[in-house]
Order: sequence, then C-alpha cells, then structure tokens
Amino acid sequence: MSNYTNNSVSEKEKKEFFEEFNNGLHRIGRFTLIAAMIMLISIPFIVGAVNGVMPSMSGFLRGFATVGLIYIPVAIVEFLVYTPMLGVGGSYLSFITGNVTNMKIPCVMNAKDIAKTEPGTPEHEIVSTISVAVSAITTTLVIIAGVIMLVPLQPVLQAEALLPAFNNVVPALFGALGLKYFLQSPKIAVVPLALMSLLCIFVPAAISQTSLLLIPSGGLALAIGYVLFKKGKL
Amino acid sequence: MNSYLSSVNAGYFYGIVAVVLTFIMAMCLVFCVKSYRAGVAIGMEEKALKKVITSSMTFTLLPSISILLGVIALSGTLGVPLSWLRLSVIGALQYELNVADIAAQGVGLSGLNLAELNIGAFVTIALVMTIGILGGVVCCIFFLKKYMNKLQGKGKKEKQVEEAKQVKQVKQVKQAEQDDFIEDFIDDISDDFSADEKDRSFGTYATTAMFVGLCAAYIGSYVGKAMPSGGADLMPLFVAGVAALCMAVFEFLIQKKNYLVLENFSLAASMLVAMTAAVLVNMVM
Repeated sequence: MSNYTNNSVSEKEKKEFFEEFNNGLHRIGRFTLIAAMIMLISIPFIVGAVNGVMPSMSGFLRGFATVGLIYIPVAIVEFLVYTPMLGVGGSYLSFITGNVTNMKIPCVMNAKDIAKTEPGTPEHEIVSTISVAVSAITTTLVIIAGVIMLVPLQPVLQAEALLPAFNNVVPALFGALGLKYFLQSPKIAVVPLALMSLLCIFVPAAISQTSLLLIPSGGLALAIGYVLFKKGKL
Repeated sequence: MNSYLSSVNAGYFYGIVAVVLTFIMAMCLVFCVKSYRAGVAIGMEEKALKKVITSSMTFTLLPSISILLGVIALSGTLGVPLSWLRLSVIGALQYELNVADIAAQGVGLSGLNLAELNIGAFVTIALVMTIGILGGVVCCIFFLKKYMNKLQGKGKKEKQVEEAKQVKQVKQVKQAEQDDFIEDFIDDISDDFSADEKDRSFGTYATTAMFVGLCAAYIGSYVGKAMPSGGADLMPLFVAGVAALCMAVFEFLIQKKNYLVLENFSLAASMLVAMTAAVLVNMVM
C-alpha cells in the first residue's frame, strides 16, 4: 500500500467504493471510446466529401489486409501486457491517446515510484489514471503550440528543395528503427534481413511489393523468435 | 502551393481535428478529476496526488517535443492536420509512417511519394491509418472489464472449480468450467503473453520480432533498389544508413554514457538528420 495513504477508511469500505468507482470508469470509458472511434473513422469521409471523393474500398481492403495482419496481433499483445500496469482508467486513456510504450508506460512507472504504489491496488489505479490523463493533456497542449508555430512555416516546409527529405521519410524511419531493433535482437534479425535483401536483389519485382514482403518477413522473425525463446536463447 | 497539399492543409480540417482533440482532452480531464476525488475518498493524501500531477506533466514535456518533431516529419506528405491528429490520438510515429506507406501501396502508389499523392489516395490512406490502429481501443471496449476482473479474481474462480470437483457435483463443475469462452480465451493467452515480474514473456519478444521482420523487409527493399537490377536508386539506402548511423550514436550515448534523456529524441532526431542529408545530397548531385 502507498506510503501516502492514511488508515481512516477501512479496507472493506475502500474495496466497495473502489469497485463502484471502477464500474463508473468502465461505463464512461466505453462510451467515450466508442464516440471517439466514430469521430475518428468519420474524418476521412468528411474530408473526402468536402473534396468530392470517397475512400477507395478496394484500396482500403488491400492496405488493411497487411496492416491488420501486423498490427492486430501487436494490439492484442499490448492490451494484455500493458493493461495490468495501466489499470482501468489508465488503459482507456492510454489506448485512445496513443504513444503507449514510449510515453504512457514510463510515465505511469514514474508516478508509481513517486507515490510508492503497487500494481493491482486501488491506489495504483488512481495514480496511474491521473498520470496518464495529465500526460495526454500535456502532450496535446505541446503539440497544439507546435502546430500553431508550424502553420506559418508551411511555405518553407513545402519548398521544392525539401522534397527529397519528405519523399525519404520512410527510409529514414526504418533505418533508425531497424538499427534499434536489430541491436535488441540480432539473433532474430540476421536471417530475415539477409533473406529479404537477397530476394529484392534477385527478384526486383519484389521491391515494389514491400507491403506484401512484410508478411513473410514478420512471420519468419516471429518463428525464429519463438524457437529461440523456447530454447532459452533470447 | 501544390493542390494536393492545399487540400490536406485546408482550414476546415484543422477545425475538425480541434473538435476531436477537445473531446479527448475533456475525457482525460473527467478521468483525472474522478480519480483525484476517488483518491481523496479512499484516504490518499492530496499532497501525493498533486505530486503525481506535476511529475507526470514535467516527465511528459520532453517526449512531447519529440512527438512534435514527428508531426513535422509526417506533415510534408500527409499535411499538418492529419499528422497532428494521428500523433495526438492513438498513434505513434513509427506506426503512422509504416501504415501510410502500406496504404499508399494499397491504392496503387509506389509508396508515400509526394509526386504521386492525390486527395483520393489521401482519404483511403487516412482510413487505413485510423482503422488499423483501433485494435487496442476495440480490445478495451469489449474485453477490458472482463480482463481486469479476471486478473483481480483469478484465484477465486480456480478455488470454486476445485471445491465443486471435491464434492463431485458434476453439474457445478461443468458450469464452472464452461463459464465463459471469452474469459477462458483471455485467461489462456494472457498466461502466455502477460509480462511476469521475474521473466520476460514471449509477448515482449513477439512484438520485437514482429518489428524486426518489418524493418528487415524495408531495409531489404532499399538494398534491392540500390542494385542496378532494381534501378540503382541509392537514395533510400543512403537515407536509411544515415538514420541508422545517427541512431547508433544515440544508442551509444544512451547505453554507454547514460544520457537517458536522449532516449526521447533518438528516433525523431535520427530521422530528421537523415532527411536533411537527403536534401544536401540532392543539392550536391
């Protein structure tokens, strides 16, 4: 239990109050998440309607088939792994505001250390929810301030000379991210990296099909990871 | 200004994003106030709760600036409003860029290339980016309550099953064992994937492995593009190499020299350095 808790409330009263509180969070959480989801999904349609176009369903299905294969399992794993740390309120907020691994989890861990709470306790749930909420509000405000400063810079950012920068934003991402992940798991990385490079060298048609290459490459890495994990070599 | 960029940076789009973000900020505020009051009600000291608020705020400031750098990186191709929305809600830079690139290929483009993008492709890309990331949200809506109850009351159900077996009440055993398919499913996979206090579970490695595979496919394609048979386009491999080099320097400073604060900036800063290198090389060549 937290070092900051006094004992004027009995454990039973606390438990009953907390169950009711959590039920309330579930109700609001579900309602707001559904409402936010509807808003988010409607945006591409609104922008399309204003411009006289609609999202292409065949293009959507082709894109989503690959994205879903990769990110739905990741989402399920993240849900299972992170929700015990985040608690009820923290989970609803974290999964709608994003940046879970790189921001919300470290922030909750920091708050947990400050308040000296243990995961699974009412105190931890409360601290975690407050910490995620404050973190999300802070991020949103910082980004709003940044966007306000960014708007006048639009002509500069859209200058012809900067075109190579924005056309190479994806290689920049995967170069940086690749090094980070390859260093983390070199044993998993060697075979998929070598195979994908060889495939693209000897079958040039594969180069333009990166979205399809992700499936065998991801599957191979997962299989290698699982075998190494089972053998205790990770 | 390019007509595509004018459309994706239109004023009304900023307004729509502002409405959505206001709603989500209000949600955060409601959760924060309710939790604060609940904390006080169960006897937590207000001093501790205030300390959590201020420390969470200061803890988030630096990483938020790195997210802002991500907005700049993304805004060149997808415009400011969508980048602003995507990096404020649900997403993260690595997801957004990767999914945008996959979706661009889905609509028949070679990738996230400004010269090929049009508003029709943009709305499809935005839809894939939005729906593709909703997995965690959907899990929360449908399974969070059951999962949290399961975690809190796991021992209780096992005990009930055991007691029922002991008194040989077959009906009771069946009832307890057939309790709820979803609960059992969640229980089984959570045992395999949830992080243990002592050991890292396969769930942690599975996510890393998945991203290793993802990066391997992209790096492989840049290697292929650099070969004469692939068009001898060296730029993507060069940019990826500069970003990797920059990230290696960051990793050295973080891991060996203990400059942990750099962790927040390593990805966005490495990308921006590599993108600047692309501009410089293009000018020279």
